[in-house]
Amino acid sequence: MWKFLKSFLKEEEDEQGKLQEKFGHFRALLESNNQTLALMADMEEKLAGEFLFDSGYLHTTTAELTEHVVRIVTELNLLTSDRYRELVPISREIAADIHATLEAAPEIPVTPYILPLSSLERTDVPSVGSKMANLGDVQRYLGLRVPAGFAITATAYKRFLEGSGLAQELAESLAQADIHDLTGLEALSTELQARVRQATLPEDLEAAITEQAREFAGRRLAVRSSAVGEDTEFSFAGQFATLLNVDPDRLGEHYKAVVASKFTSRAIFYWKYQNFSVEELPMAVGCLDMVPARCAGVMFSLDPHAPTHDTVVITAVWGLGKYAVDGTISPDYYEVSRQAGHELRSRRVAVKDRALGCDPAGGLREMALPPERAAAPCLETDQLKELAAAALRLEEHFGGPQDVEWAVDEGGGLVVLQSRPLRVAAAPPVRERPISAEAPPPLAKFGVRAVGGTAAGPVFILQRESQVAEIPAGAVVVTRQPSSRLVLVMDRIAAIISEVGSPTDHMTILAREFRVPTLVEVKGAFKNLLQGQMVTVVADHGEIYPGVLTELLAQDCRTPLGEPWRGNPVFQKLREALRRISPLNLLDPHHPDFVAQNCRTLHDITRFCHEKAMDAMFNLDAQEALKSKGAMRLATELPINLFVLDLGGGLRASAEGAVGLADITCPALLALLRGFHDPRLRWGGQVAVDLKGFMSVLANTLYDVNKADRELGGKSFAIISDTYMNFNSRLGYHFGALDAYVGPEPNDNYISFQFKGGAANTERRERRARLLTLLLEDIGFKAQAIGDVVRARLVKLSQEESEATLEMVGRVLAFARQLDLALASEALMNRVRQAFQEEDYQLTFLRPEESAP
Amino acid sequence: MPEKILIVDDEPNMLRLLKAIVTGKTPYEVTTTNNPLEVTQLLQDGDFDLVITDLKMPLLDGMDLIDMVKKFDPTLPIVMITAYGTIETAEEAIHKGAYDYITKPFRQEAILITINRALEWRRMQKELSALKQPSS
Repeated sequence: MWKFLKSFLKEEEDEQGKLQEKFGHFRALLESNNQTLALMADMEEKLAGEFLFDSGYLHTTTAELTEHVVRIVTELNLLTSDRYRELVPISREIAADIHATLEAAPEIPVTPYILPLSSLERTDVPSVGSKMANLGDVQRYLGLRVPAGFAITATAYKRFLEGSGLAQELAESLAQADIHDLTGLEALSTELQARVRQATLPEDLEAAITEQAREFAGRRLAVRSSAVGEDTEFSFAGQFATLLNVDPDRLGEHYKAVVASKFTSRAIFYWKYQNFSVEELPMAVGCLDMVPARCAGVMFSLDPHAPTHDTVVITAVWGLGKYAVDGTISPDYYEVSRQAGHELRSRRVAVKDRALGCDPAGGLREMALPPERAAAPCLETDQLKELAAAALRLEEHFGGPQDVEWAVDEGGGLVVLQSRPLRVAAAPPVRERPISAEAPPPLAKFGVRAVGGTAAGPVFILQRESQVAEIPAGAVVVTRQPSSRLVLVMDRIAAIISEVGSPTDHMTILAREFRVPTLVEVKGAFKNLLQGQMVTVVADHGEIYPGVLTELLAQDCRTPLGEPWRGNPVFQKLREALRRISPLNLLDPHHPDFVAQNCRTLHDITRFCHEKAMDAMFNLDAQEALKSKGAMRLATELPINLFVLDLGGGLRASAEGAVGLADITCPALLALLRGFHDPRLRWGGQVAVDLKGFMSVLANTLYDVNKADRELGGKSFAIISDTYMNFNSRLGYHFGALDAYVGPEPNDNYISFQFKGGAANTERRERRARLLTLLLEDIGFKAQAIGDVVRARLVKLSQEESEATLEMVGRVLAFARQLDLALASEALMNRVRQAFQEEDYQLTFLRPEESAP
Repeated sequence: MPEKILIVDDEPNMLRLLKAIVTGKTPYEVTTTNNPLEVTQLLQDGDFDLVITDLKMPLLDGMDLIDMVKKFDPTLPIVMITAYGTIETAEEAIHKGAYDYITKPFRQEAILITINRALEWRRMQKELSALKQPSS
């Protein structure tokens, strides 16, 4: 006997425990659902171009986002005994796709391993780097002399890394590198550079290099980095190797030495921090005929420190320009006018006692210079003019001030070795802010900006979702609650105003994608705005004005995305990643396409899981829970037999056995019971029925309807917590269920409603279902009647609004209790609806015997 | 003579955007570098009124940069750009002498306000030191 009792008790405990566990999963899912929506909203907002963000932001946010989606899927499966396992691979696939988008390196164009300089131009930057591509332009379009040469392309670099197995090796080493250990980074850099130098070139690449070198046999080369992105996006000034006066015979070695110089500790840090792949910043290499310079140097087409001085600045040393570039010795310094004639403005001739020259044996050799040579100016007036003219042509051609390396060869001819953009600070004109408008007082100004911008159009009051198709182009849509179905017209509406909602709900995320100005939390919008009325919505200030205010519209900050965003890679990656994140394809939970297999984005998964989780909670096997030891009967004077099971925080701690109203702390149940207890409701007595209705009742049962409430209706029960209520009841002959979450976070909150059955004939039952649908729609629900079944849901209300709505639902339920018997005609149904709207809950017009004096 | 700002960030995209915004909406001159090792040279050449720097950078981070800038000119304001969730480091930067910090991602307006405030402070510092100078 004892054993039996024990097992019985254990089972009870388990039932309550099981429910508590389920509720825990549900809560966790809601929490992640909110986080997901907030993160998506945040990313969409960044896309609007008002924010500055870096790739670090992209990586952290998407990582967080996928983590939450994984959690949502896991919790849903825990909640539903693995009913949606197919979501696991789907979410994994989407996450992998997003990850790949973020990791994607700019593509390396496929070219031959070697391209002659004479074939290059500026558009070849992605293949050969800007150093070589620009030089190609200089030769091709400006007719300025450049050394003969060729580029070993980015394709060759890729082939080298992949063909030699280095790519894999380097990636592995880089994966283990700790970016905060600088000593370690230096050591790793040294090690990686050695590995590159020691690697074997793939045969085909080796052959191509050897063949090209043969063409230059007997000559000397300058081999230097021309990394893609080196001058434009990354400043690696002077960090990559340049080998001067080398023998073409050992070009393969030289090539590897320059490629190795890519693995500086700084570059390694980048890859780690930015999650770059080894393919990024591909190292193309330029090979040029060595120019045995008589003198050489650097010039700026504009003085970077004094842009207004209108001068070309030229520095020069004897011999090779390296000493001028790296500052080993003080060079001659010339300022030449940028104006035609290029007169010399100033000159400072340095004593250049040394010069760097080419060693006939290879490499470089420093030579001491005799005093008169050291003190002599490197450049004559004519040469200065020629240089200045060249600098200005380069500036004009490349569209900005240039930093030019040049040499004068033994024959006195000018050779351009490199031209790249010069960093100059320019002061652009100041833009005035538009003056604020003289506007009439706004119609409403308490909205919350969900999507910024200003727009005007005629008001379209969206009474129910089914009207979405009727929305005209250019309309300002006014809705009671956010509707993701609006996506269907998002591309042609002017603005959205919603009485409830939040900047992170589904509708808003969609609106942001389409850049439709959206205001939420605009209380009274439904009442105060008229169908067809022209309004101007200033979403940024949360204001709605009557009429079309062109001055305000002119201030609309939603400029099309222009520079500098358009070309920004981080921005493009965000846009690309969002394609698998924010579009919503699963719009209608009742549509047959609303299935896991159709989830194509993280938003789809989130939406789907949220819906299915609410369903799972709705369909909790609550009858079982009633057997639980924890279930307690509610003491109430109402003719309902209500049992309460607390999953945590729904009842006062002291409550035991039977509970009274004072013991309840669950806000949802309290609100519902407040509705039931409305003194204007009538629980006792009969609702007058015409004979037909009465007969139909008799056909079903011989019991008095009120008696049926207590005895036939069976138990009603509520599973509750501090934020949750699952209420099931039989009131009369019908079955009603409510599932609600009511807490401080509006995104979590929802009320699901289902109602079925009745005692009367089909026609009247269905009429009541229609009446209920209308009554629920009147208080803001999205409701649907199929036969005598009513399903309705309301989401994202604030706690206060949720409670007020539940109270109304309580009244509706009690009010409609036995109405099927009374609803003999459509006219009567309309009359009853009107009575409810007029708060005549007693339905006195149906009770002639009571309204008589 | 417009005031000059030096922006240091290891991410070139960030630099490009920052420069475009500041030069597009203010009269200030902007110089950028993604290589913190260049900063000493730039400071010597540039006569800057404000330094904006990222906190997390290769080899020389924003904290080191504060020391460097302070050594060069103790009155030169520094605005630190920090990543979300690193408030402690940002506060440490302020202790070390940074003028202000701003957390990534940020609105365009936010950085412009911060810049204006820092430059205003710089102007006041200059006036103050001019007043303190014994009149000759």
